[in-house]
Amino acid sequence: MRAFLSSKKAAPWLFLSPVILFALVFFVLPVVFAAYVSLTTWDSLTPPRWVGLRNYEYLLTRDPVFLRTLWQTLYFAIGTLAIGVPLALVLAYAFSRSRHQGLWRVLYTVPMVTNIVAIGFIFWFVFRQTDGLLNRVLGLFGLPGPGWLTDPGLAMTSAILVFVWMELGRNMLLFAAGLGSIDESYYEAAKLDGAGHWQLFRFVTLPLLRPTLLFVVITGFISGMSYFTLMLVLFPGTQGGPSRAALTTGQYMYQMAFEDLRMGRASAVSYILFALVSVVTLIQLRVMRRGGVDAH
Amino acid sequence: MADTSLPAAAPAVAALAEAAAGPPVRPGGRGRRIAWAVLTYTLLTLGALVMVLPFLDMLLGALRTPAERLARPPVYWPRDPQWGNFVRVFDELPLLRWLANSLGVTAAITVLQILTSAMGGYALAKFHFRGRLGMFRFAVGAQMFPFFIFLIPWFFILRYFPLVGGNNLLGVGGMGLLGSYAALVLPFAVSWYGIFLMRQFFLAIPDELLDAARMDGAGEFYIFFRIALPLVGSGLATLAIFVFLYHWNEVLWTMTVTRTAPDLQTLPVGIYLLRGAFEQEATKSLQQAAICVSVLPVLIVFLALQRYYVASVTSGSVKG
Repeated sequence: MRAFLSSKKAAPWLFLSPVILFALVFFVLPVVFAAYVSLTTWDSLTPPRWVGLRNYEYLLTRDPVFLRTLWQTLYFAIGTLAIGVPLALVLAYAFSRSRHQGLWRVLYTVPMVTNIVAIGFIFWFVFRQTDGLLNRVLGLFGLPGPGWLTDPGLAMTSAILVFVWMELGRNMLLFAAGLGSIDESYYEAAKLDGAGHWQLFRFVTLPLLRPTLLFVVITGFISGMSYFTLMLVLFPGTQGGPSRAALTTGQYMYQMAFEDLRMGRASAVSYILFALVSVVTLIQLRVMRRGGVDAH
Repeated sequence: MADTSLPAAAPAVAALAEAAAGPPVRPGGRGRRIAWAVLTYTLLTLGALVMVLPFLDMLLGALRTPAERLARPPVYWPRDPQWGNFVRVFDELPLLRWLANSLGVTAAITVLQILTSAMGGYALAKFHFRGRLGMFRFAVGAQMFPFFIFLIPWFFILRYFPLVGGNNLLGVGGMGLLGSYAALVLPFAVSWYGIFLMRQFFLAIPDELLDAARMDGAGEFYIFFRIALPLVGSGLATLAIFVFLYHWNEVLWTMTVTRTAPDLQTLPVGIYLLRGAFEQEATKSLQQAAICVSVLPVLIVFLALQRYYVASVTSGSVKG
């Protein structure tokens, strides 16, 4: 037995044994358990009762809030990408051509290592209508200061701005790494052909940056779709912002599970969201691949 | 506002002068080169201001007196900075307890993840066995599962964990692992991404080296711990710093399982859940001081180890 345990044949399994044990208890079991619970009604205090697909049917056809949260979540995920990706790209372009990169890197990545509670509270103060930093700055230019966190029409946009701020450094570093891996000879060749700055960017940089772009867009989309911790801090004491305008599907699921104790329906929400994220991610992969990229 | 921009702008101005003088800006006319440099550094400086000003806003907030907060209009620049708030907040809130919890939980998770990732990555990189491809695909595929899927099942798996926390063999009777540090640590003992990352590092070690040790009669565990592991030191450091910073800032899960167990709360979670203590405008300076305290330790770690951190961020995008 001892000889077997130290043999080369047994070694990989021994090395993998903690991982396998973990995978069974904290991955396979939860995935199966959540799927089962989503087919029941369960308040966690009395035994679950089987209801088949009724939770899914309720959420997709009758729940007035659920579909709204899906749209709001999509708005958040797409909004963060639409603002954050071009911004990070432009900054990465400037960054990779600058001196003192160590300094810039530190300044831009500090939000990445700041805990989300601190970020949420920092911006809760920055966004205050009467005396917040943002409206003070707007006031310097004679602009009116809106209620960033209290106006239902603005609440989700404010959350998007904070999220863009949080992710900017990460995306900038990723793009800068991508830019750095582009061989200088492509630029030389294009310049010999008389390409200008914009043409260099459009026909050399952008196509060669596609793998990085794909990575940033897909990971950003997945995290944007599942995100809600920020909203918990930005809109304290509300059910997802003013008039629930900043309620995402993730937070809706969380409230359903841990405040209303509707574990079955909440599990169904998480599976619908998971399915949606997977489908959109696959479409993104397909589209980007057709564009001639084979990353990952 | 103008004077806050000075410290950040000063190096930019110096850099501007340098950049105008020579490469690495791409060639072109001297006038164009300067125009590009101006554009580049204006952009970077503006962005940096947006990154840094919210932190300064929080610091200024922590230094205001209650009277300055209640004044109409409220005072922005504290005239009499209340540095004492950073001491007082330790009396008002159990910050040291939260700090110790953060440190203990994060350290435990980091050690466990390093160990399981290194062992798992080593097995997948350096052994040929039936099921290897399947295990690898599983580790890659598992990364696709978003965190929110696990919130509910993890909670109840810990709650009904057999034979611990007053539970019997069937997992009923007590609270299981809920209300213990294990609830904060165990669900994060393994990282699929970590296994994937460490496998990349182990692939770079030549098989001949390990086989030579085997010829000399070394056992598999000796080879792993004494030969293979020291060769992937930079990989371990990269993973460790990434895991540490990530879990130091983890809030959602910790909040879920410690809502009713204040003794287990970590620094950010404690500050979030005790926000009710700062409803009064006059006390908000203390809340902002607490937030400063929660940001500072990790900022120091980050500044000391930022080289590794940057590597860990970009390593995820490298083709695997």
